[in-house]
Amino acid sequence: MRISSSQIYQLAVQSMLSQQASLAKTQGQVATGKRVQTPADDPVAAVQMHQLAVQISQSDQYGKNSTIVTGRLQLEEQALNDANTVIQRTRELVVQANTATLNDADRQSIATELKARQGELLAIANRKDGNGEYLFAGLSGNTQPFARGSSGSIQYQGDTGARSVQVGDSLGVQDSDPGSRLFMDIIAGNGTFTTAASAGNAGSGVLDAGSVVNAAAWTPGNYTVSFTSANAWQATDSLGNVVGSGSYSSGASGSTIAFNGIQVGISGVPATGDSFTVASAGKQDVFSTMDNIIGALQSGASTDPKRAQFITKMNSSLQQLDQVDANFTQVHSQVGVRLAMLDDADTTRATTQADLTAASGQLSDLDYASAVSKMSQQLLGLQAAQQSFGSISKLSLFNYL
Amino acid sequence: MADMLATGVSGLIAFQRALDTTSHNIANASTDGYSRQQVDLVSNPADPNGSGWVGTGVNIATVRRLYDSAIAGQANIASSGFQQLDTFSTYASRVDNLFSDTTSGLSTTLQNFMNAVQAVADSPANISSRQVLLSQAQTLTDRLKGFDTSLRGMDSQIGAQLGSEAITITTTARSIASLNQQIVSALGTTGQPPNDLMDQRDKLIKDLSTHVSTSTVTQSDGSVNVFIGSGQALVMGVSSAKLSVASDEYGRSGTRLMLTNGGLSTDVTGAITGGTVGGLLQFRSQMLDPARNAIGQAAVTLATLVNQQQAAGLDLQGGIGGAMFAVGGTSVLPSTLNTGNSSLAVTRSSSSGLTAADYQMSYNGTAWQMVRTDTGAAVALSGAGTAASPFTADGLSIVVSGTPQSGDRFLVQPTATAANGMSVAITQPEKVAAAAPLLTSANAANTGSGSIDAGSVPNTAAWVRGSYTLGFTAANAWQATNAAGTVVASGAYTAGSPIAFNGVQVTVSGAPATGDSFLIKDNAGGTGDNRNALKIAALLNAPVLAGGTVSLNDAVGRLIGDVGVQTNQAQTGRDAQQIVLTDSQSALGNVSGVNLDEEAANLIRFQQAYQAAAKVVSIANSLFQTLLDATK
Repeated sequence: MRISSSQIYQLAVQSMLSQQASLAKTQGQVATGKRVQTPADDPVAAVQMHQLAVQISQSDQYGKNSTIVTGRLQLEEQALNDANTVIQRTRELVVQANTATLNDADRQSIATELKARQGELLAIANRKDGNGEYLFAGLSGNTQPFARGSSGSIQYQGDTGARSVQVGDSLGVQDSDPGSRLFMDIIAGNGTFTTAASAGNAGSGVLDAGSVVNAAAWTPGNYTVSFTSANAWQATDSLGNVVGSGSYSSGASGSTIAFNGIQVGISGVPATGDSFTVASAGKQDVFSTMDNIIGALQSGASTDPKRAQFITKMNSSLQQLDQVDANFTQVHSQVGVRLAMLDDADTTRATTQADLTAASGQLSDLDYASAVSKMSQQLLGLQAAQQSFGSISKLSLFNYL
Repeated sequence: MADMLATGVSGLIAFQRALDTTSHNIANASTDGYSRQQVDLVSNPADPNGSGWVGTGVNIATVRRLYDSAIAGQANIASSGFQQLDTFSTYASRVDNLFSDTTSGLSTTLQNFMNAVQAVADSPANISSRQVLLSQAQTLTDRLKGFDTSLRGMDSQIGAQLGSEAITITTTARSIASLNQQIVSALGTTGQPPNDLMDQRDKLIKDLSTHVSTSTVTQSDGSVNVFIGSGQALVMGVSSAKLSVASDEYGRSGTRLMLTNGGLSTDVTGAITGGTVGGLLQFRSQMLDPARNAIGQAAVTLATLVNQQQAAGLDLQGGIGGAMFAVGGTSVLPSTLNTGNSSLAVTRSSSSGLTAADYQMSYNGTAWQMVRTDTGAAVALSGAGTAASPFTADGLSIVVSGTPQSGDRFLVQPTATAANGMSVAITQPEKVAAAAPLLTSANAANTGSGSIDAGSVPNTAAWVRGSYTLGFTAANAWQATNAAGTVVASGAYTAGSPIAFNGVQVTVSGAPATGDSFLIKDNAGGTGDNRNALKIAALLNAPVLAGGTVSLNDAVGRLIGDVGVQTNQAQTGRDAQQIVLTDSQSALGNVSGVNLDEEAANLIRFQQAYQAAAKVVSIANSLFQTLLDATK
C-alpha cells in the first residue's frame, strides 16, 4: 500500500486537532467542575438537572416563606402573651372589686385602672408586623382593625380571612388569626346561656353564671325568671309560657333555680316582682366585657339592690373572662401547633434539599479524579502525536540524495 | 537494421519525459486536487532480421493521471454528508449554548419569577416585593424575547448564507462547464487526456460537494454532467444552470432555492440534500423553526395562564387584576398565488390545545382544510368559519372573511411571533392581583351545620361588585341580598352544588338551618390577601399544556431536552461522518496522492536510465568511430 506525502501531514494534523479539541473540553470541565456544560453533553441529565434546579429553587423559596411565617407567628404569640397579662390583671381587679369592704370611690379607681388596661389591650389588638401590616385585621392588613365606633363600643373593622403561606408543595400554614377570632367571637356566659339581673330589681337576689345539667333538655331561647313572691319563682320563655317554677328560701346555701335542663345558683333576698334573665349565649367581645365591668364599677354598689346587680355582673364577668382566657389559650395552642409544623417542615425540607442537591451534583458535577487522569492521558496522547509527527516528518529519501 | 543511435535517443527522450513528469509530481506534491501522473512507456516495434526481431527502442504511450473516479465519487458523497452534519451541529451548538447558561437560562428566570410571586404571597401589601415581581416578569420577558431574537438572527443569517452558497454553487457550475469545453477541445485536438484540466474539474466537483450533494455522469466526449439534489441538472456539458434564493409563496424571504436553466425555474428546496446548503435547510426546518415556535408557545402559555389568574383576582387597590403580560399575535400569511379575496383572522382560544406547530389552511373549492406543516397530518376543523361560529382546532379560533377561490391557501403560525411581541403589561406594582375577589364567612349566629367555601368569580366581567348576604329562608331555599337589602337572586338549595348570582359563585355544603346566613364580602380591602398570588405561583407546575398533561415547567424541560438531543445527535453524527470522510479521502490519496519518497526513487531510477541511454548514444558513437578508424 502506498500513501501520499500530504496525507501524512493531513492525518497527523487532524489527529492532533481532534486531540486538542477533546483536551480543551476536558480542561473546560475541570475548570468549571461541571461534567454537563451544555444540554448536548448529556440531554437526559440536562432535563433532570432542570427539574431538580426548579425543585431546589422552590424549596429555597419555601424556606424563605417559612422564616417569614415563623416571624409573624412569633409576633402573634407575643401579642397573645401580652393580652393574657391584661386579662389576668383584669380578673384580679374584678375579684378585688367584688370584695364587700370596698366603697364606691375604690371601685371608681379600679374602673380607672381597667380603662387603662382596656386601652392597653386595644393597642395589642392593633399591633402591626414588620411590614406595617396590622397583625389582627384578617386580610385587610391596611385597615386598623379595632376602633371605638359611634355607638361607643369597640368595633372590628377587619375581616374574617386568614392568610395561608406555602411552606411545602402542598403545605400551607396560616400566618395569623383574624382579630374577630381572637377578640370578638368569644362565647358568652358559660357557653350555653348568660344570666343577668334586671335593672329595676329591688331585692338583693344574686344569680351565679349557672350550668347545664341536661344538654338534651335545653332549648335555646330567652327566659325570664321572676319572683312571684320572695320565696317563689317561675321561669317563662319569650312567649310568656311558664317553663318552670319553684320555691326559694333566702339564707339556705346552695339554692338553685332549675328548668329546661339548666340550673342557676341563687343567693340573697330577692323582692317580689324582681326578675332575672337567662338567655342563650351569643358572642361577646373582650372589649365589651371590659366595658361592662367598667360600667358596673362606675354605677356603684351602695344599696342592696345595686349591690345585687353588681355582684351578678361581676359573677358573669368572671365567667366571661374565663371564656376569654380559654379562647386565647385555644388560639395560642393553634399557633404553637403551626410553629411546630414549620419546624417539622424545615427539617424535612433540609433533608430533601440535601438529597436534591446531591442528586443534581451527581448528574452535573465532575469526577475530578477520573477527569484529571483522562486529561493527563489526553496530554500524553497529544504529546506522542506531536513527537511522532516531528520524527516522521524528518524522514525523506531526499535527505540521502 | 536497428539503429542503435536512434534507440538510444528514444530512451533519452522517454526518460527525459519521465523525469519531467516526476518533477511535475514533486512540484505538485501539495497541490489540492492534483493526481499524480505517470509516463506509460511502450517498446517500439522491432525490425525483422534473418535471425529474429531486433528492438528499436522505447516510445511514450501516454502521460496518465492516477485517479479512481469511483473512489472520488465516494469521497464526494462522504464530504457532502460531513458538511451537512457539520453545518447542522455548528448551528445546533449555538442554540445549545443559549440554553446552557444556568444563571440566565430560561428555567432559572422562570423559577425566579415564580419565587417572586411567592414572595408577594408572603406579604401581599409589601410594595417592594411586588416591585421585585415586576422586575422578574421583565427579566423573564427579556429572556424569552432574547431567545427569539437570537433564533431570528440565526434565521436571517441562514438566509444570507444560503444566498452566498447559491452564488458559489452557480459560479462553480459555470467553471465546471467552461472546463468541460476546454477538456473536450483538448481531447479532440491531441487525443490525449488533459490531465491537469481534468484534475481542476474534479477539484471543482469536490468543492461543489461540500456545498451540496452531487452526482456526475461522464460523457464519451470527456465532458461531465453534474446533478444536484435528486437529479436536477446543474451542469450539462458546456452549459450550466443558475441557483438562486427566493421568497416562498407566503412572502418569507430567503426560504426557497430556485434552479434556473434556459429560462425555466424549478423550486429545488425540497430536493436538495447534503453539503452546507443541506445542513442549513435541515437546521432551519428541524431545529430553528420548532425551537422558535416552542419559545413562542411557552410565552403564550405563560402569558395566558398568568393573565387569566390575574383577571380572577383583585389588585392592591381593590380593582380586578389586569393582564400582566402582552404577547405578539398569531401570524397569518396569505399565498401570493391566491386568486380569491378571502382573509383569515386567527386568534388563540385555548392555551391547553395550542401546539408549537405551523399550519396550512387551504380551500378546495367547497371546504377549508387545515394541515400541520411539520407532520403533514390533517387537523379536523369544527365550526363554520364565521364570526358567530369560528373554525376551532388546536387551540385556535379562525374566522374567514371574503370569498376564497379553489386553491387559495394561508400559512398560519400560532406561536412564531408571540415571544417577539412580548412585554410586561403592568407598570404599577399595586396592579399585581394577589387577592381573591371574595371573602366568605358564616354568620356567627348560625345554628345549622352549613359551611361555605371560599367562593369565586368565574367571570370578573359579569361581576356586580358589592357584598352579599346569602340567607336561608328555609332549610332548602336560599336567597341572596345585596348591601341595600334588595333580594338579587334566590333558588332551591342542594348541598354541595354551586350557587351563582351576579357573577359570584359559592358552594354551601352541610345542612344550614332556616334563618342561617353567610356573608359574601367583596374583598376590595383585602390588601393582605394572598390567595390569588398562591394560585399564580402554582401555575408553573400545573399540568395545563397539551390537553392538561404537561406543565409549563415540563415544557421548558422538554425544550431543553430536545435541543440537547438534536445537538448531541448532530455532533455524534458529524464525528462518525468525519471518519468516513477521512477514510474515503485516504483511499483516494492512496491512489492519486504524490509520495515524495516514491518520486525520489523514480528520480534516481529515471536518472540512471537516462544516463544509461546516454551511454548507449555514446557507445553508438564510438562504434561508428571504430568503423571509421578501421577504414582509414
